[in-house]
Order: sequence, then structure tokens, then C-alpha cells
Amino acid sequence: MFSPELKKGSTEMLVLSLVETRPRHGYEIGKLIESRSGGRITFALPTLYPTLLRLENRGLIKGRWVEKPGARDRCFYRLTAEGRRVLAEKRATWLDFIAAVSDVMSATDA
Amino acid sequence: MRNWQTFVRDRLSMPALSPERQERIVRELAAQMEDFYRDAIARGLSEAEADAHALAQITDWRGIARDVQRADRAHARPRLERMANMLDAIPGPTGGILQMTAHVLRDMRFALRQLVRAPGFSAVAIVTLALGIGITSAIFSVVNGVLLRPLPYPEPDALVRVHETIPQYGRFSVAPATFLDWRDQNAAFERLAVYGGGSGTFIWDDGPERLSGAVVSWDIFELLRTAPALGGGFTADQDRPGATDVIVLSHGLWQRRFGADPNVVGTSVRMDGAPVTIVGVMPPDFYFPSRTYEFWRPIGLNPGNESRGSHYLGVVGRLKAGVNLEQADTEMRGVSERLAQQYPDDSAGESAEVLSLHEQVVGRIRPALMTLMVAVGVVVLIACANVANLLLVRASVREKEVAIRTALGAGRRRLVTQMLAESLVLSLVAGALGILLAYLAIPAIQTLSAGGIPRVDDVTIDGSVLAFTLGASVLTGIIFGLVPAWQSSRDSTGAVLKEGGRSSVGAGGRWMRGVLLVGEVALSLILLVGAALLLRSFDRLTSVDPGFRAEGVLAFQVALPDTAYPDEESQIDFFDRFLERLAVVPSVSAVSSVQTLPMRGGYVLTVEVAGQPPAEPGEEPAAHHRAVTPDYFKTLDMSLRQGRTFTSEDSMTSQPVAIIDEAFAARFFPGTNPIGERLNIGNGTDNAEIVGIVTNVSYDGLDAPQTPTMYVPQSQDMVDTQWVLVRSDGDPVALSNTVRQLLRDLDGNVPTMGMNPLTTTVNDSVAPQRFSMLLIVMFGGVALFMAAVGLYGVVAYSVSLRSREIGLRMAIGAQPGDVLRMIVGSGMKLAGIGVAIGIVGALALSRLVATMLFEVAPSDPVSYAATSLLLLVIAGLACYIPARRAMRIDPMVILQE
Repeated sequence: MFSPELKKGSTEMLVLSLVETRPRHGYEIGKLIESRSGGRITFALPTLYPTLLRLENRGLIKGRWVEKPGARDRCFYRLTAEGRRVLAEKRATWLDFIAAVSDVMSATDA
Repeated sequence: MRNWQTFVRDRLSMPALSPERQERIVRELAAQMEDFYRDAIARGLSEAEADAHALAQITDWRGIARDVQRADRAHARPRLERMANMLDAIPGPTGGILQMTAHVLRDMRFALRQLVRAPGFSAVAIVTLALGIGITSAIFSVVNGVLLRPLPYPEPDALVRVHETIPQYGRFSVAPATFLDWRDQNAAFERLAVYGGGSGTFIWDDGPERLSGAVVSWDIFELLRTAPALGGGFTADQDRPGATDVIVLSHGLWQRRFGADPNVVGTSVRMDGAPVTIVGVMPPDFYFPSRTYEFWRPIGLNPGNESRGSHYLGVVGRLKAGVNLEQADTEMRGVSERLAQQYPDDSAGESAEVLSLHEQVVGRIRPALMTLMVAVGVVVLIACANVANLLLVRASVREKEVAIRTALGAGRRRLVTQMLAESLVLSLVAGALGILLAYLAIPAIQTLSAGGIPRVDDVTIDGSVLAFTLGASVLTGIIFGLVPAWQSSRDSTGAVLKEGGRSSVGAGGRWMRGVLLVGEVALSLILLVGAALLLRSFDRLTSVDPGFRAEGVLAFQVALPDTAYPDEESQIDFFDRFLERLAVVPSVSAVSSVQTLPMRGGYVLTVEVAGQPPAEPGEEPAAHHRAVTPDYFKTLDMSLRQGRTFTSEDSMTSQPVAIIDEAFAARFFPGTNPIGERLNIGNGTDNAEIVGIVTNVSYDGLDAPQTPTMYVPQSQDMVDTQWVLVRSDGDPVALSNTVRQLLRDLDGNVPTMGMNPLTTTVNDSVAPQRFSMLLIVMFGGVALFMAAVGLYGVVAYSVSLRSREIGLRMAIGAQPGDVLRMIVGSGMKLAGIGVAIGIVGALALSRLVATMLFEVAPSDPVSYAATSLLLLVIAGLACYIPARRAMRIDPMVILQE
């Protein structure tokens, strides 16, 4: 388990990356974060849902209600063009950051 | 399984968001909670366990609502709408009113947008209304401060004035012995107290100063239920003859002359040459009997030896609990009438009258203020008519909008409400400006009315005034809004939409505008007639010949301290020397002294002609009595008709003499020669020989009837306080310093008081009339202006609507002159009807000002004719300007459109 401070900076990035390949609904996003992180990262509904709204308000994702016969109505979020650009940026920054942090931390005073 | 949407909706309150947005969020959160539930069932949990699992997902509903609203800020609603919705959401029995408020708020937001879109229209409407509401609030603040607000003493309703009534004069001041009997013999009053003028001379480091104060019964402060802020009041022991060497200071005097010294109580100050001990300082807002009084001292009446015949005191009382005004009045009449029987020589025929103190203070000004209130009401109505007209014009411009909204299903009631909301927004904004206007106007009114209106210093903008303004704003909003709202909601939808681009003006709209305009002109004329009547009345009043020439005369009071000038000889000697020195100043042509100034009343004494049978006690004839120095008549530029004036030979020891005026001669000696006749005067002077007759003077004011007046030489009736009159060949004010210097040379401890040109006294005497007149004339001007603007607006608008018709007429041969006649004619027809109605209305209402008029009939034809003509000329101008534009219409341009 990570502390909330640690998770905070990455929530948006995680959500964006999960809807990158295909639209997903809110519950699915939450479950995927949990399962893909091996249960180490979880977001409660009160955290996750306002994040979705915020991303949508900023035009990075777009929710759409889908009514399928035999299934319940759900709101599916997909990545917008703007979202795609922001995600790419965030991902690059993140990888840079990780690399930098691990460089610092693994360096030994030879 | 529970209904998750209902579950979420009941717990999540997001008033900041639009309803659509709220619904979407509820739907999605519900879907997710259901996912948790179903997932749990699928994992083999029981329904109850699954339900609990789902519920556990959200525990802090407030928190999530806050986060969601914050995240979804882009969909937030405007604040005003949010407030409306919050009110909407409040459940319960009050829901009706709150929901209505919510609708009104929403309508007002829409209205505000509409008004911002038409800034020119809004500005004209708001300024017009603000003017109307502003002057109404200003006048109401005067009415409120003067008439409505209670006197500034605790439980003021129980405070009364008690007068003696005297057969010849009616309501009168009270004689000291009578007061003492009243106090002992009544059962109606908790306390009864007396007060009288008691000016005093104080010597400060920068010289002597004469201050107004009052001598009072020791318990006056208890009666008024106002304790001194410092020290205490008087005790009964201090209210005895010879024991009255104590003083209570006003807050103002304490600050001005004692540096607000907190230890002032117990110290001593010299007043009229003798030490008095300061025993108290009153609170800042205390005054009695008026604001000009700066100190109080015990009166020290002597129960064994007081006059029953000289009436010079005021009496105030506080009614016992359970006693009303009528009961007290009945009782005091009873007491007085018993006294009249007991002391027939002094009090025959006398009685008493009890009046509420408030009524006594403000009763005289009530009719004038009420008239002003009616006048400003008329101004507001005119403003309403004007704005209603503007709204009607605008409504016809907006016909299409209304028609479309009707076609889309807006009910008539809904449309009327919306239109009303617009007029309310206008009038509320105007009301706010109006309050500002009133705030600025109050100091001006106070200056203008100085001396004319009692308590005018109490006028402020308080809660009542604010409430009044709010009420007036809402009311005007409804009055001027209702007509156009109803009118525009009535126009048929289909007709407007079919007309295409051209606006059709319903005949109803034009008719309504005509009616409003006629009303406006009529109301303006009523005000103008009122203004003209008062103006003419004031002109008549100020051109009354007062019988003396005030121009060029400087007047001031000199009071001699009785420690230094204890007897008549020393007083006469002082004034003789002072007047002699004044007389030789270059530019001074005459000097004299007298006890009271003209226009301020004076002493009235009974008088009998020696040798004629004495009158019944209580029915003796009376006349003004003035003790003057020889040059009095010369100083005031009066004429001697017969006989001689006084000379220095007429002294304390010589034969008593008197000079009478023509009114006296006519009253007492019709058809005979009064010279050489003798008078027995009520102050004890017997056998005063009449040596001369002079012209009449209006001593009681310009509008008062002539009272017979007798003059006696000052040397035969001396008092220690005199008004000195100095006639100068130049500007009398230029003499001020010389006069003060001469007085200082004579005695450095004697101050002057109330130094002013005598013309000021004359002007002050007509201050109430001037006040009403100036205000009504101002209102008349505003009304005239509004009527002109209204007329101009209506005619200009009709020209713009009829431009095609006018073009056509010109194309088939009408000359510009014909067009001018047609346009001006149609406007003048309305103005003419308005003037006719206004004349009738003014005749009906002129009774209101009848009591304020002096020698002008309420139906004075000159006032009516002049104002009608003025109004018609202004109306003509207001029509001419748009008509000229109509004349310049090019038929070709119109036809090509």
C-alpha cells in the first residue's frame, strides 16, 4: 500500500492510460487499477469519481452513456485527442522522473 | 436489491450544479455502487453482505458532494440561480412563499440581463425613478424625523404641555403662582415641572459670552427620565429662592468650554458675576426645551410670593400610568377654574389646556409637511407614468420576443410576472440611488429649513426611512410595470409573427401611452399650480409693508449682569452711555433699544382708558406694550402721525407718558383725538398721558393681523436685557466690530448676543413659508421636466413609427408645414386634455394649500393661467423637436424601403 500523497500525483495519469486503448466505465477503471497493481494501488469511489469528472471537465476524456440490450446502462469514458497529447506528455515526464529517481537512489559512492 | 439511484439522490446534495448535471452524476454513482453490489454477489456474498459492501464504498456523502461539485465547476450554475434553487429545495409549509421568491429571483436575473442589454433605456428609466424616489425619501425622512419619531425622552407618550387659557388670547404661558397651585392640586401627573428662559453671561479667557439656558423645576430631568451623564441633577433643596447657585451643563457646552473635563462636577463657574457650582453634565443627545439651550438652573420659585398675573413660564408634565390626555385635560380645567374663582382679580375666566408635548412641538408644521408629502407623491406618480410609457414603447419593440415566447407556451401569467420582474429591478436600482439622493439632500433641507421646522436636526436616514424607500420602490415598480406588462401580454401572437419584420403597434398600446401622457401632464399641472400659488403667496407676504424699514439696521442683545447693575438707575445709566457712544460713530444715523425685536411678538398688557368704565375682570382689552428709547421710531424709520416722540425729558421721575399707534387709536379712540388722554396699563402704570401717534408695525409677523400697540419711555419701564438697534448709512454688518469694541470699552464683562442685520429677523419670520415654497417650486420644476421628456419621447416614437405614412403623405403632396401641424397637433391634443384635467384636479386639491396661502385665493386665476400656458409652451417645444425631424423625411427614401 502506498500513502495517499504518493498516489495523488499519479491518479489522473493512471485513469488516462487505462482508457487509452478503449473506452471503459468507472467501476472497470477502479478494478483495473487494483488488479493491474496487484492490489497495491486502490482508489476508493469518492476519490476516483471526482477525478473522472475533473478530467472530463478539462476535456481530456469524454463520457458517453451506452445502452446495450441485456446490459445495464453505463457511462463509458474514452480518451480525447487532447487527452492523448496530455497522456503522452505525462508518461514521458513520469518515465524521466522514475529514471532520475532510481539513478539517484542506486548510485553508490565509488 | 435497493434502488441505487434513489439511494444516491437522497444523499447527495449538489445545489451548485445544474439539474441535468446532478442527474447524470447520480446516475453514474448509482451505477458504480450497483457494480460493487453485483460483483460481491458474484463472489458469493449474501445479499445483505453485498449490500453492506456496496454501502461501505461511500461513507462521507458531504465530502464526495463537495469534491464532485468542485470537479464539475464548469457546469456550475450562476449564483443567483443557485440561491433560487436552494430556496426551491427547502421543503415544508413555507415552501409556497420561498418557491415564489425563488421564481422571482430567477425572473430578476433574466430581467437584469434584459436591462443591461438596453443601457440607454435603463439609464433614463432609472434616473427618472431615482429622482422621484429620492425626493420622496428625503421628504419622508423629514416627516419621519419631525412628525413620526417620538421625542427623544423615554416613554415620551406620557409627556404633555399644560397651558393656561386666557379669555382674550386663548392658549398662553403660565403664571408662576398658578403653576405652584397646579402642582399641589392635581392628581393626574406623576410630575409637573416648569421651565423658563434663563440666559446667562459667562466670562471665559477670550471674553464674556451670553448663552441660552433655562431655569427649570428641580425634578425636570426625572420628569423627562433622562439622567445626567456626569454627576446628578438638582435636589429639591436647590430649587428654593436664594439657593439656586447650581448648574447642569449641556454636553456641547461641556465639550466646548470645559474641554470635556471628567472632573468638572463640583467645580465652580462664574455666571452673571456670581459663582455657581456645576452639579451635572447631560448626555450628548439630550435637549430641552430645544437644542439652543446650553445649561439648566433651578428656577427657585417662592411659594409665598409669586405672581399670578404675569404669564411667562412653560409647564410640562408626565401623566400618571393609566391617566390619558383627556382625563388630565378635564382635571386641569377643573383645577384652573377653581383657581379662577378663588383669585378673580388675577385669574378671572382663566382655564387650562393639556396638549401632548409632541403635538405641541410639531403640530404647527404638520400641514406643511403633509402637503409636501402629497407633492412628492405626485412627482413619483409622474415618474411612474414616464417610465411606464418608456416600458410601453420598449414593449412594442419587444413584441416579437413576447409573441415567440407565447407561441412556445409561456402563459400570460408567466409573461406578466417576467415583465413585472423587470420593472421591479428598475425600481429597486432606482430606490438604491434614491436613498443616496435623499442622503445628500438632507443637509440641504436642514439648511433651507433652519428656524422654520422644529426638530429638523433630528432628521436622519434610519430604518423607517429605508423601509419606506423599499416600499415605495416596490410599489412604484408594480405601478409602472403593471400596465405595460398587461398590455404586452395581451397583444395577439399571430398578428405579430405574421407581420414579418415590421413592428405593429397595437392600437391599445398607443391608446395607453396617450392616457399615461395625459395623466402625466395633468399631474404636472397640479404641482405647477401649487407651486405658483405658493410663489405668489410668498411674494405677497414678503411685500407686506411691516411698518418699519429693516434695511440698514444692525440688531443685537445686551444683557447686564445683575450683580454689577442691580437697579434700574444703573441699567438706564449703562444703556444711556452705550447708546450715546454708538450714536457718534460715523455712518450711524440713529440708535435705540427695546426689549423684543419686531416680528417676534412681544409683551401684551391689559390697558384701560382713564375715565371710561372699567371692563369686567378677565375681559379687559389688551395691547402690545413696548418700552423704547427716544430714537426708536427714527431707527426703524417709522412716521409720527400726531403729537411728539419721547425725549430725554421723559424720565423715571417725570409724568408717565405713552405713544400709541394708529391701530390703537382706531380701537380705543374711534372718532376722537387721543392726544392728552390717559391710560391705566396692566403693569401698574396709571395715568400715562398719550403724547403722540405713530404708524403701525407688524410685530407678530408679516401675516399676522395688526395688534394695537402702546409705547412707553424705556426710562419708565426698564429691564436689564435689551435689544440694541443701530441704523447705519452703509452696511450694518460692517459696524459689528466697532459695536463690540465700544461695549468692551464700557464694560469688559458684558457680551453681545444674536448680532445680525434686522433683515435676517424679518427673513427668519417667513422661513416656514419659504421652505414650503422653495420645495414645491422645485418639485414643480422636476414635474415639468419629466412631463416634457415624456411628451418628447412619445411624440418622437410615434414619428419614428409613422415615418412611412409621413413619407407617403409627402409623396402625394403634403407640405412640410402640414406634417409639422399634424405631429405637433397630435401631441398638443394630449397636452391640452392633460392641462384641462389638471386644472380641474388642481382646483379640487388646492384646498390642501389653502391654509398656507397668504392673500392669494386657492383658485387664483393668474396662477392657473400662467402655469397652463407654461406647460403648453414646454409641451409645444417637446413636440416641435421630433416634428422637425418628421418634416425632413425624404419620401423617396421611405418609398424605396
